[in-house]
Amino acid sequence: MSELLQDDAGRVPGVSGDRVAGALLLVLAVGAWWLSHDLESGFMQPIGPGEYPRLISLPLAALSLLLILRPGVNQRWPRRAALLRQALTLLVLASFAGLVKPLGFLPASLMTVVLLVRLFGASWRSALVSGAALALALYALFEFALGIPLPDMPGLDW
Amino acid sequence: MDILAFLAQGFAVALEPQNLFLAFIGCVIGTLIGALPGLGPVNGVALMIPLSFNFGLPATGALILLVSVYYGCMYGGRISSIVLNIPGDEPAMMTTLDGYPMALQGRGGEALGLSAVASFAGAAVATLGLALFAPLLVQFAIRFGPAEYFALFVLAFATIGGVTGGSLVKSFIAALLGLLLGSVGIDAVSGVPRYTFGLYELYDGIDFIVALVGLFAISECLIYLEDIRGTSRPALRLGSAMPGVRSAGRCAPTIARGSLIGFVAGVLPGAGAALGSFLAYMLEKRWVGRDGRFGQGDPRGVAAPEAGNNAAAGGALIPMLSLGIPGSGTTAILLALLLSMNITPGPLLFEQQPEMVWGLVAALVIGNFVLLVLNVPLVSLFARVLLAPGWLLMPMVVMVAFVGVYSLNNSAFDLYMMLGFGVLGYVLRKLEIPTVPVVLGLLLGGQMEFNLRRAMAISGGDWSILWSSGISVGIYLFAVTLIVAGLVYAWMVRRRLR
Repeated sequence: MSELLQDDAGRVPGVSGDRVAGALLLVLAVGAWWLSHDLESGFMQPIGPGEYPRLISLPLAALSLLLILRPGVNQRWPRRAALLRQALTLLVLASFAGLVKPLGFLPASLMTVVLLVRLFGASWRSALVSGAALALALYALFEFALGIPLPDMPGLDW
Repeated sequence: MDILAFLAQGFAVALEPQNLFLAFIGCVIGTLIGALPGLGPVNGVALMIPLSFNFGLPATGALILLVSVYYGCMYGGRISSIVLNIPGDEPAMMTTLDGYPMALQGRGGEALGLSAVASFAGAAVATLGLALFAPLLVQFAIRFGPAEYFALFVLAFATIGGVTGGSLVKSFIAALLGLLLGSVGIDAVSGVPRYTFGLYELYDGIDFIVALVGLFAISECLIYLEDIRGTSRPALRLGSAMPGVRSAGRCAPTIARGSLIGFVAGVLPGAGAALGSFLAYMLEKRWVGRDGRFGQGDPRGVAAPEAGNNAAAGGALIPMLSLGIPGSGTTAILLALLLSMNITPGPLLFEQQPEMVWGLVAALVIGNFVLLVLNVPLVSLFARVLLAPGWLLMPMVVMVAFVGVYSLNNSAFDLYMMLGFGVLGYVLRKLEIPTVPVVLGLLLGGQMEFNLRRAMAISGGDWSILWSSGISVGIYLFAVTLIVAGLVYAWMVRRRLR
């Protein structure tokens, strides 16, 4: 079914991608195995808290090795411009997470939404207009319609 | 007949004004989300979960809302398939094959009307099947012990990749990764913190909703950012959807076949709606043979997959409600909602809270009628939403997800973790490692370990208890059969391609 359900365009051989992923997963599995030995408890139980993670990390290690030995296909990886845009978007969102409490919801979301809309390809003008509208709509939705207290601006009641 | 009495009770629950309103809202929102390209039922339901928590809805109401969103998404997915040739979600993929050609011929309205009626019939068959078969499965499952449940979890993981295509190795890796992530947090039995690295935020484990919204909504937004120049498409004249209702009459046998096939595919663990629509389309093509003009705008090519995917969506609710084992990504999320409300689906749910189960069934019946009304006369309104620019829609989706998750715990840590999961989901998708098994692993890991350790406590540490009953051996054999069938099928496809 794969030939019909998946779009073959945009697929690339996954030799390097799959091998890197396989190596990382192998490290993860070995690390989980290693750390699970610290998890012994003195209870009189047939299996302790470390047994189950070990039970999982074993096949995970085996399959990661298989992935390194026999890599499959990947989707095409993003170009540099796209990568930059994605990184900036993540940065904007992360700064919202950090700023929402100290600044209050309205200023933080206004900044975030305007920058987001701009990053998604709108002009500055429409980013400002629709960003402001969206931030207000979000505030109204959560604060009034859903009745959830959002962080207020410092010194103000809204 | 018990079922009729239970159903009457269910309708009494579903017809309460609040629940009726929730079903209606859910249908509208679901159709909208489903219609947006790239956002499918998984995303839709994932977005609605934080909101429904915030609403402080009772469990029945929240479930009715989310299941209406789920059904609505299944309806809505077809709209962008037909109008834009972009499937709104994965199960709607097959609808593009004949739906878009019909739209190009100026029969877009007919295709939309026809597919709405086919969706209605598929969902109706599935809801009927749910009412009839779920109680039977429950009577079987009431005899399950911890060892049998452990086997059932193994079955769920073994089959999730095998049936839906793609690399078997990669979907197993995904499931194991999810299981490993699921073991983070304080061990419920011994009280020992596992893999928390001293972060007290991780003591409760990785919040499922945070992981889910990150893996689906945030990664979807990163995918969208790769290419933000929207391609302009020719504006199509859709016309009225009413001729579609007449053409549905001519396609009635097709719709009936598609619904039955889709329903069976939906009940199978790990198959889900994509397989339902795929099988319904392929078998219909085989059935009609040379008389059909499949791929060039044959109405039967629209009716079959739409009946199939909606029937599969309903069918997938059966194992979720009666066994507590989700068969698809979306039902996994619904299960997560129930678990986080301290409701454990499974045989006991039917005995202890029949009003909830049957209220849900009744809400599905009502929702299906609402959706039919929304999707035949009013479909052009939803199609118009597709014309809104992506730079407005995507930030809106991201911000609703973001604020929704933030307001659950007022925690910035949750948001950072959600972004982390977004990047993880994006990388996994690039590697063609499916994300749904990760979610399933994260969600079911706790239950799976709990049952394993209970079985071990019963047997005093003797591992052979896991395969000592006929039922669990039968479940393992079934899992092996499904994997082998998947492998043989993939091998046959590859041979034919050569």
